[in-house]
Order: sequence, then structure tokens, then C-alpha cells
Amino acid sequence: MEEGNSIIYGLEHQTRALSPQYGENDAIRFLIGTQSLKPESNQVHVVELEEDTGALHTKVFKHDIGEIWHLRCSPHDAATLLTTHNSYDPNTSQCTMGVSVFKLPTVEVIPKDLDDLSAIQGRNPENMELMTTIRPEAIGEKSKSQMALIGTSNSLPILREYPNRLMAEWDGEWPPGLMSVLLIQKSGEEIRCGEWHPTEASRIGVVYEGGVSVHDVTKGDVVATTATQARARQNLTGGKWNPHQGHTQFAVLQDMHIKCYDTRTDCTKPSWSIDNAHKQLARDLDFNPNRQFHLASAGDDAALNIWDYRNGREPIFSRTDHSHWVWTVRYNTYHEQLLLTGSSDARALLTAAASVCKDLDEEAAKISQALEDGVLQSYEQHEDSVYACEWSASEPWTFASLSYDARLYIFMIIINMMEYCSHLWDGSAKYLLDALDRLQQRAIRIIGDEVTKP
Amino acid sequence: MAEPIENGENPLNIDGSNFNADMYLECIMKHTTLKQVMDKEAEIVTQSQFLQSEMQTLVYENYNKFISATETVRKMRSDFIIMQEEMNKLSENMNKITSFSAQISESLKESGSNVSRLCGTRQLLDKLQFLFLLPSQLNNAILEGRYVDAVHDYTHAQRVLQKYGNQPSFQSIQTECSEIIYGLKKSLRERLLNPETSASELAESVGLLRQLQETDSSLRDIFLNCAESRLDQHLQTLNSILESADIIEWVEKCNNTLLADLGIIVSCYHEMFQDEDTSNIPGFADKILFQVFHLFEEVSKRPENVGTDILIRGLDKFFRKLQAMKEIISSDTVSEKAVNVVVQCISNKATIQYQTIQTQFKESLMKVRQSLASKGSESSDLKDILNSLQVYLMQKVQASLLDLMAFLQNNLSFGLKPWCAKAVADSCWKVISETVINLSDMVKKMACLQSSNNNIPFELLLILAKLCLEMQETGVTTLHCHLIKLLEESAPGLVVENKDTNSVMVHLSTAAQSALDSEVVFIGQTAAQMLRVSVLARDWLRAPEPRGPRAVCRRVVETLASADSAASQLFPTSIKPSSDSSRRTIWSRAPSSFSPINRIFSERIEVFSPAGADRAALSNGALKVALKALVECVRLRTFGRHGLQQLQVDVHFLQQRLSCMGNDERLLNALLEDALSSAQLRCVDPQLMEPSIVDIICERG
Repeated sequence: MEEGNSIIYGLEHQTRALSPQYGENDAIRFLIGTQSLKPESNQVHVVELEEDTGALHTKVFKHDIGEIWHLRCSPHDAATLLTTHNSYDPNTSQCTMGVSVFKLPTVEVIPKDLDDLSAIQGRNPENMELMTTIRPEAIGEKSKSQMALIGTSNSLPILREYPNRLMAEWDGEWPPGLMSVLLIQKSGEEIRCGEWHPTEASRIGVVYEGGVSVHDVTKGDVVATTATQARARQNLTGGKWNPHQGHTQFAVLQDMHIKCYDTRTDCTKPSWSIDNAHKQLARDLDFNPNRQFHLASAGDDAALNIWDYRNGREPIFSRTDHSHWVWTVRYNTYHEQLLLTGSSDARALLTAAASVCKDLDEEAAKISQALEDGVLQSYEQHEDSVYACEWSASEPWTFASLSYDARLYIFMIIINMMEYCSHLWDGSAKYLLDALDRLQQRAIRIIGDEVTKP
Repeated sequence: MAEPIENGENPLNIDGSNFNADMYLECIMKHTTLKQVMDKEAEIVTQSQFLQSEMQTLVYENYNKFISATETVRKMRSDFIIMQEEMNKLSENMNKITSFSAQISESLKESGSNVSRLCGTRQLLDKLQFLFLLPSQLNNAILEGRYVDAVHDYTHAQRVLQKYGNQPSFQSIQTECSEIIYGLKKSLRERLLNPETSASELAESVGLLRQLQETDSSLRDIFLNCAESRLDQHLQTLNSILESADIIEWVEKCNNTLLADLGIIVSCYHEMFQDEDTSNIPGFADKILFQVFHLFEEVSKRPENVGTDILIRGLDKFFRKLQAMKEIISSDTVSEKAVNVVVQCISNKATIQYQTIQTQFKESLMKVRQSLASKGSESSDLKDILNSLQVYLMQKVQASLLDLMAFLQNNLSFGLKPWCAKAVADSCWKVISETVINLSDMVKKMACLQSSNNNIPFELLLILAKLCLEMQETGVTTLHCHLIKLLEESAPGLVVENKDTNSVMVHLSTAAQSALDSEVVFIGQTAAQMLRVSVLARDWLRAPEPRGPRAVCRRVVETLASADSAASQLFPTSIKPSSDSSRRTIWSRAPSSFSPINRIFSERIEVFSPAGADRAALSNGALKVALKALVECVRLRTFGRHGLQQLQVDVHFLQQRLSCMGNDERLLNALLEDALSSAQLRCVDPQLMEPSIVDIICERG
């Protein structure tokens, strides 16, 4: 495999948050959030890979509301994004977390003409202010006062433990519709992440230490909440909407288990669960985009497991290729056989799980045949823990991985995949060959490698 | 003299027969002088005179003889006349004698023929009497059970009866006889079908029936059917005593009843139907023997027959009998099966052996586990436990090998056969390899179980790992040598092909590795869990000023130290490079140095990597797991100034206490540095304490 097909992008501060621009179908674009406790120093970087030249273009936006722990672009609008952030208030010496929705002024990153280009390149350092045109859409004093209101009134320990109960208790006095921005609430309560609803543009699910709530961004209502069972006292580490089952299920990672709640119910009981999905803490999960009962999970036991949650006792696929905790796992959106994992052993692994992805259409079957289960490629370029890696939303053979030491690598596995499939070309249908031909031409264009020219 | 010498033809030779006087004269006249002629004449004259006188003497002499001869002839003539007369008399007498003898013979002729006719009548009458008496005789014989006589008589009479059967008087006899014989046949058939009759009687009956010209095929079928039913009966009896009798009793019973009868039946069958096709006999015998073998297998598997001695004795008897049977039945399958039975017995025995070893070993392991769980590693000597386990295992295996050697005793019917020796050798190796593989599987399973639930003491894993390694290093070879020695003693000259010890070794080494890995991960995770919970639960932002290392650090150190000391008991300590670099303080690094550049120059740390089999490597492995978790957890928190300082103290404490474990200080320092620099990055007010104060706090705490 060629190691050269990577493009590096460095940032100044530590980074954990990475998201592809889901709403974008043409450009390969990733958003990165920085994590720095220094006030007014956090940024959102929009990185676009110009496919034809292999050049990286970036735009930087200010994110003064705090360090970014988690970032998600809206699947409904390319310009909208959701950050989970944390800020330190030296006056109260408290940290406050929140989830905010932002709108980028423009999604365009690549300068239109040469003047622009030179202008940007020439004025890079101070240009930051100029370019950071983004502001949280509707953050206002109101929400801050609300925060204080909640912050002052929840001194009881039980309230600290079960924040969602708190919200429910406060339901009566809650000014309806006031929460136009979801600046959520009390100090000490940690927010793990915010996730866009797969179909409803205004709805998000927020995972706290101790529960999940679903919010309406436009109205600010709390649509549904769930708290972990009182006796369990096991904190949540993350969660995700189930893209199948009518988009009403939200799956959370609770300690070693995976639990899925139906947001239409009162959420006292999970609609399904996988107990002891990992031998240690479960860190991340991703649903198979094509198979409604399959999901992949990763955890502190360094394992990547694939489950059929109808029978959650044994994983249908399990690999332990990393040598430390696995922090993220992602299905390729087009080829469910390919999984990407990032780990604190400073590696990203591309793993094939062909054996559990059979009986699909002809093309997929061929790819499955060509692949063997196991690691296809280990990406060793990182020097620190890889907390996030994401497939591009527009280009199935491109992905980005982000390590804590603020290095983003964008990898293109296009050539390699062509090699995998090359023996299948014989006898393929014309439309397939055409598609492959286009891919190859594009690859040659991008890499500029004379050797691969036919 | 001028005359030619030759006589005979020479007409000139005066003494020759062809003398020609004229030629002689003429010759003399021509060739000689007168004087000579004169001399010649005188000579001839004298010679003639001499001859004249000689002739006269001869005539006189012979004349006397002639006269006497004439007299003799005359005398003879008169004698002959007397003789003639006597001869005539003789011939006359002879004639008389002849006539007399003719007369006598004439008169005797009549009485002679009378006598001979009487004799014939007598014989006929005898036969007739025999015939007339035949029915009653037959009846008598049958009543007395002398079936053989009856059939003998009948077969004698039968020809006659058949010849004269059309005569009325004989007809009745014949019918009577036929009836009797029919009855006899019936009774014989009944006897055949009667389960009481013995095999020899059975054979006899069938022989008789055959003499009575029963058709062969039906007879054969009947014979076999009867035999089978009788053998079935035996089988049932044998089956019924299966529960109660021990193997020797059973085999004796089997030999005496079933196999003996089978032998008789088969040999009788061969005798009787020797001229015919005997192809169905081997099948028949095989069918019976198959059931016998089946029963024998069951018997040999019964728990009371597990003892090697009794099993071997029973097997020996059985095999002897089968060897004998082989001669009779002359079927290859029988001998093959007999061999199979022995081989099967041996391998069954081996299976039982290694299963027992496994269960016993498991039990002893359980005991060890309990004692470890109750006492803890400080009070128990792991080396002792390891030794006792290993010795126990080796002894068990060696004992079972010795036990299996009993199959090769010289006095056994199968003891000296090469196939038996081979079977024993194979079984012995099976015992060894299966035991070892079971051990490895068990260790692997425990290692696997360990990672899912933590109720197996880690000391046990260490012991098992060491046990596997020891077995791999010496145990298997020792056992293999032991086996070869035993085989040489018991079966000298047997060539044992070398067994593949490698696959067994691979099993052992993978098992040991997984046990070690599991132990390292367990210890590491235990410590990591403590660190993780303590880091995540604490409010680092508003922490008070540090007064000493947190309690959890002590616990982590204790956990790691106990594992280290346990490992030191079992695994060799590699020489630790003594260096004072451990005193080096590690917070001299500014947070700005937290950059990829630094990492490029340090090696990548593989946290969950296979653990080496020595004390330092084990400790290193656990340290890595624990401290990497600390780093990751620290990065998830936000620190205040005092929180950072508390962590500084903790890190210093850990560095001091852990540097004696493992042998890779660089690794320890790198991880601790990482933790501290991560905390600095996550600190809102990153101010570290003075190193001297940290030292004091650590010592005080």
C-alpha cells in the first residue's frame, strides 16, 4: 500500500472534535474544533480538499464560547453545525458545558479567483478576525440568565446526579419557548455530545453524563428525556440516533453496555440493549447504514465489535487489532464492509468486515469476495492518540483522522481499493467498468502518478 | 622247393584237397632235374607204403568197435518190446480211472447245487428278516435314542426297498419304514428347533438328516437358523449377566458357551457341507461375532472393569479364544476384528487415563485456586505450588503410561505382537499429548475467562503460565523419553516413529502466552480502573492544596507490587540496570514541549502487547496499561492549580515507587511525563510546585 496518499493539516491547539460536512455532496470538507482552556482561543476550522490538485484550503472561524469537545455538522444544512463546548469561568472557578448551534456565513472555502487566493495567503495571521464571521445564531443574555437560574437552584446533590429529573421538576416554572438556544444548564454536569436527528432538521439529541434529552432547536422545547437507572450510577459516554426504525430510537453507551431508548416513550426502559458489549468501557458506536440491525462498537478493551442487536449476547464480528482504547468507529457510508477506527495507540485502522456483509447486490458481493476480514491498512502517521476519524460525506474513498496533538490527516484509499477490485474487472458490466474508469482517471489526476497511467 | 606254399587251392599241394596229379606231374617234369624226379618218386613211394600200412591198422581196430555196437543195438531192440507192453497196460488203466471219475462227478453234481441254492435262500431270508424287522428295529433305536443306528439301518435297507418296492409285501414295509423315518426326521427337526439341544447334538441331527437325503439348501438354512437362535440365546444370557459379572467371568462364560458353540457349528458345517459353497458361513460368523464384540466392548467399558489388570486378563482370554476361532472360521474379518478389539481396548484405556488425569488435575487446581483466594499471594509460596502441580501432573502421566505398558506383558496372547506394541505406543503418546493439550486449553479458557470476570487469582494464571512453559521446556521431552524407555523395556526391537512434539509445544506456548497476557492485562486493568475512577470522580478544578499522594496511588502501587512479587517468585529476574536516573525529576519540561517533535524521537508505546515471560516484562506490561489509562483520563478532565499540583505529587510518588518494578525506566518516565504534561495542558492555571516541596510531601505521605 502506498503511504503517500495523505495530506496533513496542523492546528495550534489540542483537538478532539471532527465532523464531515454531511450536507455537502460535492466537496470533501471536514470541520475541526479545537480544545484549549485559554479564553477566546478556540476555533472551528473548515478544511476542504481540492481533489484535482490535492491542495488543502481552510477557513477558520472563532469559537469563543469555549473549548470544543464534540462537533457535528447538520445533515440537513451544510452551513449549520452543532458544538458541545466547555468553558471555564475564573470568577466562580467553575466549568460550564453547553451545546450550541451555529451557522456558517458561507460554506465556500476555496477562493474563487487568484486575487482572493493571494489575498488570503498573504494575510494569514491577522486574517483570522476578518474571516471569523460566524457567531452562534441566537445566543443571548436570556440564556445566560437561565443558566444562572439553574446553576443557583440546583445545589441539592440529587439534582446534580440526575439532571434530567431536574429539568422535569423544573418543567412547571420553565418559561416556555425561552430556550431558543440550547445552553444547557448546570455546572458540573458534563455533556458528552449532541447529535442531529437524522430527518428532522430542528431536533437534536443531547447526551449528558446521566441521561439523554431531545431538544427542539427552533422552539427550545425539551421533547423527551431519559435518565439512567438510579441504581446503575454508570455514566454515559456517548450516543447516537438509530438511522433505522423510524428515527425514533436513540442509542447510548453506558459504561460497558449499549442501550437504546425509544424517544416516544417515557424512556424508563430501553427498547433494546447489548449488555457487556465490551469488557471495559464502551467508547463509540456507529450504525450500519444499510442493515437495520447491525451496529459497530468500540471500547477500552481495544476491540471493534459488530453486533446484530436482535441477539446481543455475542458479537457477530470482533477484532482486537489496536493496542489501546478505541475511541471512534465509523462505517463507510457506501461500503459497509469497511470500518474505520481510531485509537489512543495513535493509529487509525481500516478494517474489512466482509464476512458479515454478504447477500447484498452483485457489486457489493464482489467487493466482499475480494476482501478478507481483518485490517486492510494501518495508518501510523499520527504521533498522539487519535480521538476522531471520519469518512468524507461526499467521497467514499476519502477519510480524515484527527489526533490530540492537533494533526489532521486526510487519506485517500482510492488506488488501493482499485487494486483490491482489479481482478474483478473482467466480465463486469459496462456501467461498472465506466465507473471504475472514472475513478481511476480521477485518482491519476489527484496523485499525479505516472506509473499508474494505463 | 618251388611249389607254392599255399595249401587248399594250390593244386600242386599234395596234401591239399584240390590236388591235381597231372598238373603236379607236369610241374615236376618241367622244373626239376631227373635226379630230383627220381628222388621224388622214391619219396612218394615210401610215403604211399607208409599210408597203406597205417590204413590197415585203423581198419582192424574199428572193426571190433563196430561189432560191439551192432550187438548193443540188437539188445535194445528186445528191451523196447517189453516196454511197449507195459505202456499199453498203463493207458488202459488210465482210461478206467477217467471213466470212474466221470461217474463220481456225475453222481455228486446234484447235491452240490442243492447246497448252493440253500445258501442263497438262507441269505435272502436273512435280508428279508432284516427288512421285516426293520420297522421295529428302527422304532427301538429311535426309542433308545440311537438315531445314528436307525439311520444307518435305514440307509442300508432303503436301496432294496426301492428296488422291490412294487411288491406288495415290501410295500407295506417300505411305507412303514418311511413313516418311521418321517417321524424320525420330524423328531430330528424338532430337536433342531428345540433350544435345549446342544451344539453337538444339533450337528449330529443335521448330519443324520443329511444322510436321510434332505435337500441341502433348506437344511443349511435350518441349520444356520437354529444355530443362530441358539447363539442368540447365548448372547442374551451374556447380555443379561453384563451387569452382574466382572469381565473375567463374562469372558469365560462367553468362551465356554457362545464361542465354543460357534466353533462346533462352524466346523460341523464345514464337515457336512464341505463339497458345497460355504460362502455364507463367514457372514454368519461375522454377524454373531459382531454382536459379541459389541457386548465385549460394553463389558470392557463398565466401571468395575476399568482396572487394568482385570481388563487385561479378560482381554487376554477373549483374544486367545478368538485366535483359536480364527482357525475354524478362517475369516479375515475375525482376526482383524480381534486385533481391533485389543487396539480399541488400549485406546479406550488411554482415553480414560487422560480424562482422569484431567479431572484430577482440575480438582487439584481448584484446591490451589481456593487456597490462593483465601490466603493471598504473600503467605503462599507460588514456587511450591507450581512444583507440586507439575510433579503431580508428571507423576500422573507417568503412572498411566506404566499402566498402559501392562498390555505388552510377555505372557499375554497379544503382548508381543508388533501391532499391539504400536497401539500401546500410540495410546501412550495420545495420553501425553492429550493431557498437554487439555492443559493448554484449560489455561487458555481460564485466561479468556479471566478477562471477562475477575474471580481467578492472578497468581494462578502466573503459575499456569509457568507450568506451561516448564512443560514446554522439559516436561514433554521428559515424558517422551520416558515413554521411549518404557517401550524399549516392554517391547524390545519395536521401532517407534518419532512423535511430533512441535504441535504440542505450540499449544503450550500459546497457552502460556495467553495466560501471561491475561495476567498483565488483569493487573494493568485493575490499576487502570482504580486510576480511572479516581481521576474521573475527583473535582480537580476546586481541589485543595496537595498534602500527600492520594490514597489511590498507594493502592495502585500495592497492586502492582504484589503482582511483581508474585511474578518474581516464578519468573527469573533479569539483571536490572542500576541507574540513578530514576531520581531525575520529570516536571522540568515546559508544557510547550508537548509537541509531536518530542514524540518522533521516542518510541511508540504498544500498550496491549504480548507480555514476555520474565518478571520485568510482566511488570512493564502492567505499568503500561495502568499509566496509559492515567494519561487518557487526565486528558478528559479540567484541572485547577491545586489539582495540577496534586497530580504532580501523585506522579512523583508513582515514579518513586514504580521505578523499582520493570526494567524500562524510559517507558515509565515517558508515560508519567505524558500524564503530567497532559494535565498541564488541561489546567486553567498551570503552575507546578517546587520539586523540593513535592519531594517532601511525598516522603511525608
